Amino acid sequence: MTDTRLPCPGRLDGETGRTLHEKAEALAVRPGDRLVLEMSGTDSMDARGGAWVVAVADAVRARHGEFAYEGQRGEVADFMNLIGPGLVGAPSTAKSETGFFERVGETGLDWLGEFNEFVVLTVDTVYWTFIAPFEGKGFRWGLWADEVYEMGVRGVRINCLMNFLLGMIIAMLSAAQLEQFGAGILVADLVVIAFARELAAVMTATVVAARTGAAIAAELATMKVQEEIDALRGMGLNVAQFLVAPKVLALLLVMPCLAGLGMIAGLLGSAVWGVLVMGHPARLWYNETMAAAEMSDVFQGFLKTLVFAVMIVLIGCHNGLRVRGGSRGVGLMTTRAVVMDIFFIIVIDMIFASVFYYMLD
Amino acid sequence: MRHEEPHDAFIEVRDLVAHYDETLVLAGVSFAVRRGEVFVIVGGSGCGKTTLLKHMTGLLTPTSGAVYCSGQNITEMNEDELARMQRGIGIAFQSSGLFNSMTVGDNVALPLREYGGVEERLVQAIVRLKLSLVGLAGAEHMMPEELSGGMRKRAGLARAIALDPPVVYFDEPSAGLDPIIAAGLDDLILDLRGLLGITFVIVTHELDSIRKVADRLLMLDRGKEIFLGTLAEAEACDVGRVRQFFERRADEFIMPHGPR
Repeated sequence: MTDTRLPCPGRLDGETGRTLHEKAEALAVRPGDRLVLEMSGTDSMDARGGAWVVAVADAVRARHGEFAYEGQRGEVADFMNLIGPGLVGAPSTAKSETGFFERVGETGLDWLGEFNEFVVLTVDTVYWTFIAPFEGKGFRWGLWADEVYEMGVRGVRINCLMNFLLGMIIAMLSAAQLEQFGAGILVADLVVIAFARELAAVMTATVVAARTGAAIAAELATMKVQEEIDALRGMGLNVAQFLVAPKVLALLLVMPCLAGLGMIAGLLGSAVWGVLVMGHPARLWYNETMAAAEMSDVFQGFLKTLVFAVMIVLIGCHNGLRVRGGSRGVGLMTTRAVVMDIFFIIVIDMIFASVFYYMLD
Repeated sequence: MRHEEPHDAFIEVRDLVAHYDETLVLAGVSFAVRRGEVFVIVGGSGCGKTTLLKHMTGLLTPTSGAVYCSGQNITEMNEDELARMQRGIGIAFQSSGLFNSMTVGDNVALPLREYGGVEERLVQAIVRLKLSLVGLAGAEHMMPEELSGGMRKRAGLARAIALDPPVVYFDEPSAGLDPIIAAGLDDLILDLRGLLGITFVIVTHELDSIRKVADRLLMLDRGKEIFLGTLAEAEACDVGRVRQFFERRADEFIMPHGPR
C-alpha cells in the first residue's frame, strides 16, 4: 500500500478540476493504494470544482483504492466538510452479485409466496361469500347492489356493442369462404355455435376484465395506499368479507347476464350482415339460427362465465392488495391485474375447450 | 429505567423485533403504557415509529417478541380474537384512512353499525356527538375529499373514538398541518383524555406537539429504544441523540457553517 499525493490547484473550478481529474487518472492507482488530495494551496473552490473532486474520488474507488484529502482551510474546508464524509476511505463493498441459482430460488420463493397469498384470499373469499352469510355473519347487500349496477347495468352498452361488432366481423369473414360453395346460409350456424360456446363468454370476459377488473385493482390499491385497508382491519373487519365477497357475488350474477346479452348482440350483428348484405331472407336466417342453436353449447358458455367472474374479482383484489408505494404502484398493479385477467381467460378457455372436446364430443 | 409495576401497565411491548422484507426495522423494543396517559413515540423519519404502532394494533405480525393489551398477548391471537381486541381500540391514521366512498357521517357510523347493535336513531346521535367533539359538527354529509387535511384527521379521530375505546392510537396527528391547526389537534387530544379518560399512544416527530401533550415518551433511533421516561426527564436527558432531538440540532457532518 502506497500513498500518492496529488496537489490541488489554487482555484478549483470546472477547468482546473478537469485537469485534476486527468492527473488522477494518469496516476493509475492500484488496489489498496491511497490517493491523498493536497489542498493546502487551494484558496477557493466552486460547485463544479467540487463535482470534479467527487469524480476523482469515485475513479479512485472504482479501482479499489482509498481516497483522502488534507490541508484544506477556510472556505474550502467548509465545502469539503459538506461533501467530504461520503468520499473518504476504502471503497464501499459493492453488493455481491447474486448467482444464477440464487436468482432462480428467489424468483421461485416469490412465486410461492404470491401463490400462497392468493390461496389464502381465495379461501377467505369463498368462506365469506358462500358460508358465512348462512351462519348469520352478515353480507353487505347494499354494496352488492351498487356493484351489480356498476359492473352490470353500466357495462351493458359497451359489452353489447363489442359483441355486435364481433358477430358482424365473423359473419363477414366466414361469408367470403362459405359463399364460394354456395353455402352462405351456413354462416348463421357457424356464428351461433361460435358465440354460444366461445365468443360471447370470452369477449364479455375481456370487456369485463378491462372495465371491472381494472377498476377493482385500482380501487383496492388506492385504498391500501391511503391506509383505508389498514383502517378496516384496525376496526377488526375482514377485508374479504367487506370488500371482496360483495364483488364476487355481484359479478357471479352480472357475468352470465352480460354474456347472454352479448350472445344475442353477436347474433344480431351477424344477422345484419347476412340479411342486409348477403341478402338472405330474414325468416330463413332466423330459422337456420334457431335450428343450429344447441342448449348444451349455451350451457358450456355460461359455465365458463361463472369461472371467469370469480377469477376476475380475485385477480383484481389480489393485485390491488399487493400494492407497494404510491400512485405508481397503483398503476403497476392495475396493469398487472388486467394482463393476468386476459392471460387466465385464455388459459381457462383452453382448459374448458379441451375438457369438452375429450369428454363430450 | 423501567420501574413500572406490572399492574399499571395497560399496554406492554416486550422485546419486539420486526423486519420489513429483510431490513431490520425494530431491534428489540420494550416499554409499557399506563392507563390514562398520553404516551408519545418519537424519533426521526424512518426510525420505525409507524411500524411499531402497526405492531401494537395487530396490523402487522412481528418477527419475535410480544405485545400485551390488557394482559393478553395479541401476537398469539387468532383472527377472531384479534378482531375482538381491535374493536376495543381506536386507530387514527396518518392519512386519516377515511373511506373515500362514504360520507364522513357513514365513516364514523361504520364501526357502530358493524358492532354496536345500536339502533339507527342513536347511531345518528352518536355520530353527531363524536363529530362535534372533534369540532366537525355538521360535516356528516360531506365526502372525505371535501375536507381539508386537518379536518380529515379530526374525522379520522372521530371514527377512532366511535365505539368509546379505552385507548386510541394516533399516527402523526400534526404531520402536514399548519402550526395553528396542529396546536388545535393537540388541544383536542388533551380534551378527549380529560373528558373521556382515553389513553393515547401517539406517534409524532413534531417537537411542539410533544412538549404540549406528552406525559411520557419513548424515543427510537434506527429501530432501537434510546430513551423512555417522562417529558421532564427527556428534556434533562444528556444522551447525545436525545439532546440533539430536543435542541433541533442537525447531524454534525451536514453543518459546514456551524460554530468553529
